[in-house]
Parts: sequence; structure tokens; C-alpha cells
Amino acid sequence: MLSVPALASTGWGNAFGNEVAKGLRDLRSGWRAVLAEMITFPVFYLLIVMFMGRGQLLGELLVPVMIGLAGLAFLHEQVNRVFWGYLGDLQSGVLEQTYLTPLPSAAVVLGRQIAAVLGALPVVGAILATGCTAVLAGGGEVPFAWSVLVPAAAIAVGTCGLALVLCGLTLVFKRIESITQASVALYAIAGGTLVPLAELPDWAAALSRALIPVAPGIEAAQAILLDGATLTDLGAGWGLGWILLQPLLLGALGVVVFHRLERVAKSRGTLGRY
Amino acid sequence: MSAITVTDLTKRYAPNGPAAVDGLSLTVEPGSIFGFLGPNGAGKTTTIKILTGLLSATSGTARIDGLDVARDRAGAMSRLGAVLEGSRNVYWTLSAWQNLVYFGRLKGLRRAAAGARAERLLTEIGLWDRRGEQVGTFSRGMQQQVAIAAALIADPAVLLLDEPTLGLDVAATRAVKDRLRALARDEGKTILLTTHQLDVVEELCDRVAVINRGRAVADLPTRELLAQSRSRDHYELRIDGDADLLLPDGFTAERGEDETVVSGRADDPETLYRLIDAIRAQGRRLHSVDQVRPSLETVFLTLVAEPAHA
Repeated sequence: MLSVPALASTGWGNAFGNEVAKGLRDLRSGWRAVLAEMITFPVFYLLIVMFMGRGQLLGELLVPVMIGLAGLAFLHEQVNRVFWGYLGDLQSGVLEQTYLTPLPSAAVVLGRQIAAVLGALPVVGAILATGCTAVLAGGGEVPFAWSVLVPAAAIAVGTCGLALVLCGLTLVFKRIESITQASVALYAIAGGTLVPLAELPDWAAALSRALIPVAPGIEAAQAILLDGATLTDLGAGWGLGWILLQPLLLGALGVVVFHRLERVAKSRGTLGRY
Repeated sequence: MSAITVTDLTKRYAPNGPAAVDGLSLTVEPGSIFGFLGPNGAGKTTTIKILTGLLSATSGTARIDGLDVARDRAGAMSRLGAVLEGSRNVYWTLSAWQNLVYFGRLKGLRRAAAGARAERLLTEIGLWDRRGEQVGTFSRGMQQQVAIAAALIADPAVLLLDEPTLGLDVAATRAVKDRLRALARDEGKTILLTTHQLDVVEELCDRVAVINRGRAVADLPTRELLAQSRSRDHYELRIDGDADLLLPDGFTAERGEDETVVSGRADDPETLYRLIDAIRAQGRRLHSVDQVRPSLETVFLTLVAEPAHA
């Protein structure tokens, strides 16, 4: 047996760091796919702006669409990275091995989430860089305020909650790829990414603000960057309180649902069955 | 203290469904290789999954080194390594080195300790020079060796191996067998092994448990199990030509062009003598009468053909 000093004293840090490191190794080994997405997403962005502007890259569309699409791309990348990571591990039978750990499983799950957040950043960065370049090339000015990091962080936390729900469902029900894809598509339509929430029917806007992880954050980011609003006086949506509360609720829902479904999977024996 | 203790373990996948494991109890002594046998669906993999904490039991307890898997999961997992059936067990997209360090840290080792242990294990299995290559590019035998090395990365006292030689060729099977023997004899590891390759069990295991329909039908030292079955005298008689005989209970005849082979169990010597008299009475020439040494395969087939003990 190995001696006690060889065992890490900080189980949380060890499990978390190990998962993040593996996620980054996966990202590096899949650099071709990342590069392809770093090209295609900005191209989609420019095409959307061009179509909405009847063939022109209008300055007044470049920034709002950039904010919306950056949020949507983040959600798409983060959720898909975690979801497909779980599904791949499940199909190959490696997932069960990752459960044979004495370390806190919550730290392992959190590590996977953070790795997926980091993995989503190159594509988001490519969209932002393209948008900024297009704005500057058109003689415009790129708006920025540090306070926009608050809704950005809220989007990240809420998206992790959604990813946890989907991964929990995967442990038990397996073939839910269509649900994952449909949910991301729904958020593209109703999440305020391309069409501002203010333009939606009141009931649809309310549902989006309540349930869609990126909706309040994108709405707030647009208000801050386009209208010069402050965090305490956003002028749109349900205010700062909801921007902070919604991701926490979604995150908590994700933890509860994932934990519950993990127990169901252990009872039914579906952790290693696909 | 036993290395593995299973007490009255029951698992039902549905509340009113049949029991996949039905009141199973067994113990495995430290430093031994324990063969856990049974036909498909007998409950072997379910038992192993409960021992690894991947599956919750309906009732009963499973202990590793005295630690209840359900109550002290972290303690039990730190003493356990496993290679599970029909799965990759390690990441094929990562190198052998990355896999071992990853699983070492997942087992709670510091990075330096995981690296040192990985170097030793990769050297032992002859893959140190190929440590940087993706596991997916390795042969099936090498992949299985990496999976076993990953299970051993934190130097666990107990190793659970579900079909470790499945799909391996003769040479790779030999390499795995040698490795397991060395792990038990030289390093004192306790190994619980399931396999359908009974020659592997006969060669390696100190003790064998056979389960059928979730219940243990035998749990004996391998030698005793074989000896016990040898006491049930099994004979094979070769007779000239195509013989048509009235056979005693428990005997069967296989008719060929030149000879007929009659085989079966004769608990009472008189049964055998009467059979020989009947052959002579027909004027048939008896080529040979042999007492057959039953293989573990014969014993296994006999045990699983009998109804499980109540």
C-alpha cells in the first residue's frame, strides 16, 4: 500500500484540478474541431447580421447580435461539451471508472463543468473579436463596461445548472441527444439571443426570463452596453436581483436533479449501460 | 479480517421483479485469488458492481477490507481497484501515461506520487517506451494491461476483475495470467476474478464460488471442488461397432462408425459392472474402460445444471 503522505490531503482540490486538467487536454487534442467552430460561428454571426440588415453589416445590429450570439454560443458549447463528454464516457464504459474514487464526486462534477466553461471560451472569444473588428472597421465604437461581467457570470452559472440537469437525465435515460439539441435551439429562438425579449409577447418574455439560463443575462448585457444602463438600474427585465437569483436557482436545481438521477442510475444499474 | 465480505446480498432491479442476486454471502481471504463463476445472467457482474459502489443493493452488505461500501464509500474505494467487463476502462484518446496519472489523481494521489507509480507500472508491463502513445492505438492485450495498471495505480489491497481476459489472444491471456499470479503471490493483492475461461480459474484461483440465479451453489477451495467431483466416479467406455444398449441412469452413448462411446457417472460400482456384463452379453468387444478426470468445466456445468440450493 502507498504511504499516507502520497495521498493528497485536499481531496476537493485534487479532484477538481484533475478534471479541469483533463478537460483542457481534451480541448487541446480536439483543436481542429475548436478551430472549425471558431471559424463557423463568426461566419454565422456575420451572415445573420447581414441578412437582418438586408445585405449590409449595419452598425446598430453588430453589437446586439454579437452579445446575443456570444451568449448562445457559450450555452451551446458549454452544454454540449459536458453532455457529450458524459455520453462518450458512458458509451465507452469509462464513466464507471471515474466513479471509483474516494474523492468527493461533487468536485469531479464541478471540475467537468469548469473545464467545459473554459472550453467554450475560444468560440465566444472568436465571435466577440469578429464583432469588435467589424464595428471598428465600420468606424464605430465598441462599448464596454466592467459591470457586464456580472450578467456574463450569471450566464455561466445558469448554464452549468442546465448542463447538470441534462447530464443527470443522460445517466438514466441515455438517448436524449434530441432533447439537448432541441433545448439549445429553443434558447436560440426564445432566449433573447437574436430577438430581444422586449420584442416577444409578454408571456413568452416572462417564461424566457424565468427559465432560460442565458435570457436575463443577455438582456442585462445589452442594456448595459447598448443603453448605458447600470446594474442597479437596468431599465429592462426583472432587475439585478433576478439576474443573480435565477442562475443560483438553476444551479441548485441542476445539483438536486443530477444527484437524484445519479442515485436512480445506481439503483437501476444504468451508470455503465447504454 | 477478510478482504472482501458479502453478507446476505440481494439485488432486485424492479421492486417486485426477480432477484439478480439472491441472499448471496461469501468471503475472500487477503492475498488470495478468488474465482467467481456462473453462467450469463447469474449475478456475477451485479455483485461486482455492488462491491464497487456503482450499484446499490436492495438488502445485505458488501465490505472491502471491513469497510461497508454503502456507508464508507470513500474508505472502500481507496482500497479497491477494478477492471469492469465489456468496457474500455481507460480513455483511449489519452496516452497510457496521461491515463495512469489521471486515474491516480482521481484515486487521491498527489501528482508526484501518481507519476512515480505510473512509471513503475508502465515499466512492469513493458509499455514505458510507449507511454506517450494514445491507448486507442494499442493492441487489445496492451489496452487491457493499461486498464489493469490503472486499477493498480493507487496500490489497492483488493482488485476486482470482471472478465479480464475476454477477447484476448493466447499470448495476451498468458501475459494477464502471469501478471495476476505475480500480483497475488509477490505483492499480496486480493483478487476477485470472474471469467468464462475456466482454464484460467483452474490455473490461478485458490478458491472458487459458483453462483447460479443469484445464489451460491458452491464455494470451495479449487482443489477441494475438483476432488469432490472426482469422488463421483465418472467413466468412459469404448465399445467396438455401433452398439445398441439399454443404458443405466446417468449414462449416455455417442455412436460412431467404428465404435460407440458410453459415458456417465456410476456412484455404485455395481452399476458399472452390470453395464460391462451387458456389453459382453451382446458379444461386443470392449476397447477400454477409463475413469475420467473431470475438468473444472465439467464441475461447473454439473453445478449450474442442478437447481440452486434453497
